[in-house]
Amino acid sequence: MPRNDSLEMGELTDTAYYILLSLVEAKHGYLIMKFIEDLTDHQFTIGPASMYTTIKKLLSSELIQLCADEDEKRKTYIATDKGMELLKKEVERRRIMVQHAEQIFKSKGVL
Amino acid sequence: MGETKYVPSGGLAFTEEQDMKKLSDYAKEGWILAGFAPLGYKLIKGTPQNLIYCVDYHKDVDEEYFSLFEAAGWAHICSQGNEIHIFSAPAGTTPIYSDKETLMEKYEREKRQMGKWAVPFLIATLVFFFLSGMLPKILGIVSMVLGLICFIVLIFSGLPYLAYLVKLNKLRKQ
Repeated sequence: MPRNDSLEMGELTDTAYYILLSLVEAKHGYLIMKFIEDLTDHQFTIGPASMYTTIKKLLSSELIQLCADEDEKRKTYIATDKGMELLKKEVERRRIMVQHAEQIFKSKGVL
Repeated sequence: MGETKYVPSGGLAFTEEQDMKKLSDYAKEGWILAGFAPLGYKLIKGTPQNLIYCVDYHKDVDEEYFSLFEAAGWAHICSQGNEIHIFSAPAGTTPIYSDKETLMEKYEREKRQMGKWAVPFLIATLVFFFLSGMLPKILGIVSMVLGLICFIVLIFSGLPYLAYLVKLNKLRKQ
């Protein structure tokens, strides 16, 4: 396995974060891309190779799972309980990071 | 069928970016990539287009893989051994890898693949060359020949392995 594997460290890359977030509701690959583009107003787009690699990785870490009623070309995924747990932890971690920045900005009068 | 042209490759492990740039330049002149050819690419004369090309390494991909590329605007051109895939898209399309982590994994996968060959053949080369000096005449010659064969395999896997290692180090520092 590659070094600095963030999934193994219990942290999500930005790509994994947005994919997991869009899979709170079941979706297939193409819809995940569209969903993230719409959600972020095209500020964050995921390339197809990054998408495929990250989906496979989330699957093997059991953070997402395949939905039943399968169709090879349009596989549908949904976040697992383990995935939801990690997502919540990740949101909290990022919230605290933003709070830290806001504290500093406020005290230094940056904002 | 139209005119065809053959363009040599410098070896994807060594000149991936240059190869893709070259294919893009040819497309502007109307020479469009049609597929792999031995040690290079086959182009077919068509209308000039402003295309960008990308290569991805992924073993045993499924249909979903190609449908994701298609949905993102990348047309699948050709594949070799269901592992090396080339795609093209109009200039300006979002790159196939949008983050450093997954881009690095692309080269990690290839490096591992090459390492699987390079490491055993490095050991075999050394053992056969060592034995050829120890064994009596005929066996020594046989061992020397086996050593040379292993050395050739080592070159074709070890050099790409090193190329990927250098590429990964560069990416890591970025």
